[in-house]
Amino acid sequence: MSSVNGPVVFDAHTLPADDNVNPYAFSVDLDGQWFLQKGKMIAYYGRIDFHGIGHGRLDRLIAHSFHSPLHAADWVVAEGRGKMLLADRSFDVNSYDLEDGNLTVRSGNLLAFQPSLSLKQSIVPGFLTLIGTGKFVAASNGPVVFVEPPVRVDPQALVGWADCPSPCHHYDHQYLRGVLGGVRAFTGLGGTSGEEHQFEFVGAGTVLLQSTEQLMADIPTGEVPDQAGVPHATPSNQPSMPRMPGQLGDLQRRFGL
Amino acid sequence: MPFRPLNSRMVEATVVPGQRLFSQRGAMLAYKGDVSFTPSITGGQGGVLGMIGRRVANEATPLMTVEGSGTVMFGHGGHHVHVVELAGETLYVEADRLLAFDGSLQQGTMFMGSQGGVMGMVRGQVTGQGLFTTTLKGRGAVAVMAHGGVIELPIRSGRPVHVDPQAYVAHRGDVRSKLSTAIGWREMVGRGSGEAFQLELSGEGTVYVQASEEKL
Repeated sequence: MSSVNGPVVFDAHTLPADDNVNPYAFSVDLDGQWFLQKGKMIAYYGRIDFHGIGHGRLDRLIAHSFHSPLHAADWVVAEGRGKMLLADRSFDVNSYDLEDGNLTVRSGNLLAFQPSLSLKQSIVPGFLTLIGTGKFVAASNGPVVFVEPPVRVDPQALVGWADCPSPCHHYDHQYLRGVLGGVRAFTGLGGTSGEEHQFEFVGAGTVLLQSTEQLMADIPTGEVPDQAGVPHATPSNQPSMPRMPGQLGDLQRRFGL
Repeated sequence: MPFRPLNSRMVEATVVPGQRLFSQRGAMLAYKGDVSFTPSITGGQGGVLGMIGRRVANEATPLMTVEGSGTVMFGHGGHHVHVVELAGETLYVEADRLLAFDGSLQQGTMFMGSQGGVMGMVRGQVTGQGLFTTTLKGRGAVAVMAHGGVIELPIRSGRPVHVDPQAYVAHRGDVRSKLSTAIGWREMVGRGSGEAFQLELSGEGTVYVQASEEKL
C-alpha cells in the first residue's frame, strides 16, 4: 500500500482477501459465516447479513463454536458473500492462523474468528480461548511482539498466549530487602517501581505482547456465571456466616444441600 | 548498544551485571532472565543533592533502576520510541520524555532561562519545557518518547533550523535555541496563521522533531 502516492482506491475485487488493507483495517473475504464482535465492521461489499447470537436459525453453529454465554450479547454472526472490513478505533489489527492449536487472547482485543474455531472462556479472568483450526483477527495497542517463554510480562501489556500453560503471578519485592528496603517498606518513602507484579510464563509456546501497557477498553468477562461447580473469585456459594463447629461445611456444598 | 528497537513503540534493552539502566517507572512491558526493578528515590543520579536540584527544577520524573542480567522490553503509553546514541555529546530533553537510559550517562539539570532573557521564559512556556531541562552526557544510549514518529534534523552553523515548539522533542550538540516570533497585525486581529512562535535552533548538532503537535 503506497500511502505516499495518495489514497489507494479499492473496489470489491481489489480489496485484499483475508488480509490487512493497512495496519489498522482488515478485509475478510466472506463466503459463509464469521463471528465478529459488535461494532467492529466498518464497511462491506456484497450480501452480508448480521445475526445476533441467540436461539434461532444459527443455533447449531453457535452450539458448535460459541461457548461463552457471557459474550453472547457482544457478538454477531456475519453470513453471506462479500468483502467485509474490520477495524477498531485505529488500533493495530492482525490476523492469526491456528492449526489444531489453542490461543488465549484478551477478550477486548478479539475482533472476529472463523466458525471452525471454537470460542471458550479462559479460566484467567478477562481472557478468551480459541481452540481448533482457523483464522481470527485481533487488535492491539501498537504492533504485537511475539516472545518465547520463560518470560515475565506486565499484565497490561499482555495480549495473549498460545500453546503454553496458563500464566502464574510473580511478585517482586526484592528492593524491600536490606536496611534501606526496610526503611522503604516501613515508611512507604521512595514509592514503588510499578513493576512488582508480572505474569510469568513457562513452558513451550508463544506469548503475544502489545507495545504499550495502555489497555484497549475491555469487555468485562471476568465474572463467571453463578452456577454450582464453577470456581469463583468471590465465593458467593460459601456460607456468609462464619462456619460453626458441627456444620457440614464443604460436604454440604459438595452434595448441593 | 543496549537498546534494540523491536518496533516503532517498543525497545529491548540488554541488562548485564554491573551495568544499570534507568527507566521511567511502570514502563517495563516484559523481561527475560533475572532482572530487578527498584524505585529510585532520588529519581536518578547525583544523590540527594541531585534529587533536590531536579525537584526544584520540576524535572523530577519517577524513575526506577533496572539491574541484573537479562533482556527487558520497554514501552509506554503507546508513544513512539526513538533511540539516541550518544558518543560524548550532551542530549537536552524533557525528563518526562525519557523512557530509559544508560546508567553510564551523566544526568544533570540545566537552566534554560539564561538563553534569551524574557524570550527564554516565553519559550519555556510555549514549548512546555519550563525554565529547566534535563541533560544527559557521556557515552551510551537514550530511549526518548514522542507522539508520532521522530525525525532527526541536522543543524549546521549558519543554517539554523526552525521548529514548531509543540513538535520539538530534544536536541543534542552545541546548539542554542531561541524563540522567534512572526507576530504581525494579522495575529492582533485574530487572523493569524497559527505559526506565530517558532523555535530557532542554531549551532552544530541535531534536533529531534515529532510528527505531531501533541504534547506527551
